[in-house]
Amino acid sequence: MLAFIVRRVIATIPVMAFVALFVFSLLYIAPGDPAAVIAGDQATPADVERIRQGLGLDRPFLVRFGEWLFRVLRGDLGISIFTSLPVSQLIAQRIEPTVSLMVVTLLLAILIAVPLGVLAAWKANTWIDRLAMAFCVTGFSVPVFVVGYLLAYVFALKLDWLPVQGYTPLSQGVWPWFENLILPAITLGFVYIALIARITRASMLEVLQQDYIRTARSKGVGQTSILFLHALKNAAIPVVTVIGIGIALLIGGAVVTESVFAIPGLGRLTVDAILRRDYPVIQGVVLMFSFVYVLINLLVDLVYTLIDPRIRY
Amino acid sequence: MTKPLDPTETAGLVVAPQLPDILPDRKPLKGVVGFCRRNPSIAIGAFLLAIMFVMAIAAPYLWTVDPTALAPSRRTRIPSADYWFGTDMFGRDIYSRVVYGARISLIVGFSVAILASIVGLVIGLVSGMVRWADSLIMRVIDGMMSIPPILLAIALMALTRGSVGNVIIAITIAEIPRVARLVRGVVLTLREQPYVEAAIAAGTRTPMLILRHILPNTFAPMSVQATYICASAMIVEAILSFIGAGIPPTIPSWGNIMADGRTLWQVKPHIVMFPAIFLSITVLAVNLVGDGLRDVLDPRMAKKI
Repeated sequence: MLAFIVRRVIATIPVMAFVALFVFSLLYIAPGDPAAVIAGDQATPADVERIRQGLGLDRPFLVRFGEWLFRVLRGDLGISIFTSLPVSQLIAQRIEPTVSLMVVTLLLAILIAVPLGVLAAWKANTWIDRLAMAFCVTGFSVPVFVVGYLLAYVFALKLDWLPVQGYTPLSQGVWPWFENLILPAITLGFVYIALIARITRASMLEVLQQDYIRTARSKGVGQTSILFLHALKNAAIPVVTVIGIGIALLIGGAVVTESVFAIPGLGRLTVDAILRRDYPVIQGVVLMFSFVYVLINLLVDLVYTLIDPRIRY
Repeated sequence: MTKPLDPTETAGLVVAPQLPDILPDRKPLKGVVGFCRRNPSIAIGAFLLAIMFVMAIAAPYLWTVDPTALAPSRRTRIPSADYWFGTDMFGRDIYSRVVYGARISLIVGFSVAILASIVGLVIGLVSGMVRWADSLIMRVIDGMMSIPPILLAIALMALTRGSVGNVIIAITIAEIPRVARLVRGVVLTLREQPYVEAAIAAGTRTPMLILRHILPNTFAPMSVQATYICASAMIVEAILSFIGAGIPPTIPSWGNIMADGRTLWQVKPHIVMFPAIFLSITVLAVNLVGDGLRDVLDPRMAKKI
């Protein structure tokens, strides 16, 4: 087991190295002078020259990459062009709202999606199943900001049940924090719920046809316990996989959700950085999110062995 | 189909199992009507898409005005007989903008689906057929797949000027890895098939082997994947435009109209609402076609997902 973890961790190193190389070289793949791209349209030639020297464009590419990578490994992601603050500091300031949003979304999505998928599989080909699957297709089709505006309009503006926008730090109390996150979490979780529910149903349908389920039924095990104890355990591998892969959807969706609900998190940071062409910030955020994504999928691989003891590496 | 017997209901009784009907009770309908009856999801999706296509092509003739014409005296009107969908904060007619906006979504969606499929197919074929290239290509693909697609597209767009072409390229690059992975998987399974081994034993050259034995079998999974890419590209385009990193603001696209309405959504929700409805319906239509295609092309999966 320990050998497996070590091997699996080592296997992520080339992937992360590629991501780093890709994120770094993005600036140089783009057509035109990278210094001019960063400087933007309103820059004077002096600005461009200053940025060019800051980037060290006079030295070979691999040397610059090596230096950059070395600094990144020490946690130095460079300096923001617009605010002149270290990128790592900007990220640290904005990380709490985004992590809160994602954790609440993740829990909410799993709590809704898994039972929904199980129910749909149990009632396969009935109207309950059709309704659940219709919900899933809708979930895939309605873009995240549409859901956001709709929910905010109905539940915050018209019904006045929940705050419209904004974020309250966890340090100011659990309820104010949670209250502000309910609508954003449902918004962000919409696609995710659809995805998890669909895979749960497919996986459950396969398992429910197996002999040991019939055996359990015939010895009189209750329906709930068959579904959630006997079947779900064996149907869990694809579900856990898709929860891991779906984190990519959450990361992309967070950028939009934070704009809609005016949450001062990493998504807002990204959007602001794009509008100002603050490239070190964009690089830093993409690198960090990719790192988290790889890490979560590494974790998912490790969870496999807990769910299914037959999996031995 | 008959309902399977529930063992708990018949406990203690000996019941002869009901045999399934082998013959269908009526002749399957032929032609378009029969196809629609059998595949309602493709039919509905294709119908909705057809409407969107007609709308995009015939935009100038659908009682629209210039979608970019400014009219400061008639700002933020709510929907009325004169302005069917109201006007935005610059007095532009939202109905006209939404109708013209269909062009951008359809162009982006379909271009990305076609381009990503072609490039992904080539990369997947090389990876599946050429052993030494496989591990290198897969490392690159793994790396690209570990960057969330929307972030990748955002990072690419942040570097270039906003234009329709650049949006298409950025989303295509973000979508290629998934196609390549899929094709590689199919090719690797096909290579083990006895008929492919027989073809190799019979001396078929690699180009002919690919063309005649491998390529036709990638078509089914590819076409399903392409529809999902199309749907996802439309959403990503709208997201990019919405956050200001996509189509230039002067071109009416659904994402841009929503971006314009963003600051006013609490008081004038109609500006955001109309493009949102059209975008959702179009993406839904593409997804329905995709689901239908999957059921037709892979009947074993049909009853599952």
